[in-house]
Amino acid sequence: MSSHNNNSASVNDPRQPSAAKPFVAQPVSPQDLPVDYSGFIAVVFGIAGVMFRYKLSSWLAIIFCAQSLANMRNVENDLKQISMAMMFAIMGLVTNYLGPARPGTQS
Amino acid sequence: MHGIYCIISLLRLPLILPSPLVFVPRPTASTADSHFEGFDAEDDDAVDEEPLDHHAIRSPPLTQSDSQPTPDPETQSNSDPNPVPTSDPLPQSDLQKPSTTTFEYWDEDEFEGLPVEQPPPEPPKVTENATPDDSDPKTTPKPQETAVSKKSFMVEIICGAFLIAFVINYFTGKRENENLALAWAAKFATKGSIFEKNFSLLGVGEGEDSPLLLKEGQNVFKFYASGRRYCQGLLATMELKSRHDLISKLFNLVVPCKDEISFEVYMNEEAMDQVVFAMAKKKAAKGMQKEVRDLQRFAGLVANPSGRKWVAEELSVISESKEVAGDLITEAVLEQVFGDKAFEKYGKDFISMHFSDQHPGTHKKMLLFKFGLPDANRMADMTRLVALVPYYIDLIGRYKLSSQARSKTEAARVKAAQEAYKELQNARQEALQKKKAERKKMLEEAEAKLSADAVRKKEAKDRTRQMKKAMPRMKMTRGH
Repeated sequence: MSSHNNNSASVNDPRQPSAAKPFVAQPVSPQDLPVDYSGFIAVVFGIAGVMFRYKLSSWLAIIFCAQSLANMRNVENDLKQISMAMMFAIMGLVTNYLGPARPGTQS
Repeated sequence: MHGIYCIISLLRLPLILPSPLVFVPRPTASTADSHFEGFDAEDDDAVDEEPLDHHAIRSPPLTQSDSQPTPDPETQSNSDPNPVPTSDPLPQSDLQKPSTTTFEYWDEDEFEGLPVEQPPPEPPKVTENATPDDSDPKTTPKPQETAVSKKSFMVEIICGAFLIAFVINYFTGKRENENLALAWAAKFATKGSIFEKNFSLLGVGEGEDSPLLLKEGQNVFKFYASGRRYCQGLLATMELKSRHDLISKLFNLVVPCKDEISFEVYMNEEAMDQVVFAMAKKKAAKGMQKEVRDLQRFAGLVANPSGRKWVAEELSVISESKEVAGDLITEAVLEQVFGDKAFEKYGKDFISMHFSDQHPGTHKKMLLFKFGLPDANRMADMTRLVALVPYYIDLIGRYKLSSQARSKTEAARVKAAQEAYKELQNARQEALQKKKAERKKMLEEAEAKLSADAVRKKEAKDRTRQMKKAMPRMKMTRGH
């Protein structure tokens, strides 16, 4: 700071404790939050994995679930979507790997 | 014979069916594909195997009957109770006879199908069925089988490995981001640093030792400061690369992005004159001028004035008037950061700055700065850039437009306000018209419904009339 005289006005202290306002987190409406693409992709892959019994799709759903989980900002809000995607993904995997039960589930 | 075999297999079926349910781990697509056929195969398999066992168990007696050792104890045991001396050959023959009869008996009872049907299919089927049965759960024996199982596990292996890598990267990337943010805070917000000297309140919490940084997600950090002349507060937002997210990390290999920090300074209402000013790299400046609303409305690109030191080549200035631009780009700033020489050295992390008293949003008078963040161990590189923030707060806080420029800007703002008002009114009117149209539509629909109801009523009346006409005849006929 002293190297450049930017604050040549540092003759007097610029600080004004009386004017200090504590930080107020601005409430962000859910619409303004960035869209959780990975969660959406996870849901899509999860549903596809369950519908077509395509295990790669279910695995991808799990990976995108992990990404969505890693990028989560609002715990209560996002957890719903993620848990849904996770459910689909796990369901897809279960039906895939416990495969012989298929004829029963397929009906 | 065949019929019996079928019945046996049918009886076995329910026994076999649940077995795949219990023996779960059969992931391969091959089993899934062959499942329908597999039914038969498994049936055969089971049937084969069991008869095989029978065979194995029972065949020895066949040989045993011929061979000596086993019959001996039998004969002895049998012979012991019997009178010993008289019939040595007889009991044997007697015994042999029953034994042969028993074998015949056995044959008729259970071996019916076995000797004839089973032996021929045995050798090939046993080998066929045995190998896949072994290879599926254990994934070992034949090279072909292993290749198949490897291929089928490829997806799992890759996805599992990726997931593990993702988790590891999550923790390392998170740590990296936190370190970067902490390095910034340590450099600029601790005791004796720029922000500590300029603001009386630092950090997002309340009290003395409140946390300096607020973490929002894994890659956004916020720093708040307040208690300074001319401004209400300052909010710095660090948007770091998504290092914690392996997928976006990979994506960023293709589309590179930078760590950025942006400062928002909320100026006091009375402390900021009517100023619209922005500076950025040439390309970005053009974009800003077109896209940012207040710049688009009030300001234009300012050409380099002749006969004066000006900002570096790469930069361009957007301002409401030349006067403002000239007053805001002072000698000191040129010397420290934005001059040709200084910018090469200190300005490489500069992205943009934008001052406006007409900022869209709740707070109108704002100063925005946007810088790139250097590495954690090169934080000192951006010291001069960060020092711009308090400098401009003071400069703009003290700045007063000349009366001539002021009248011009005043006119522009009045005009803008009028336009905004007009727009608002238009919007309101539109909304009103929309409402009216909707109401009209509703009414029409209701009318249509009413009319439909009326038509229905009329029809009903007609019908009843006709019924009435028909009724007497009916009665007449009934009367007869």
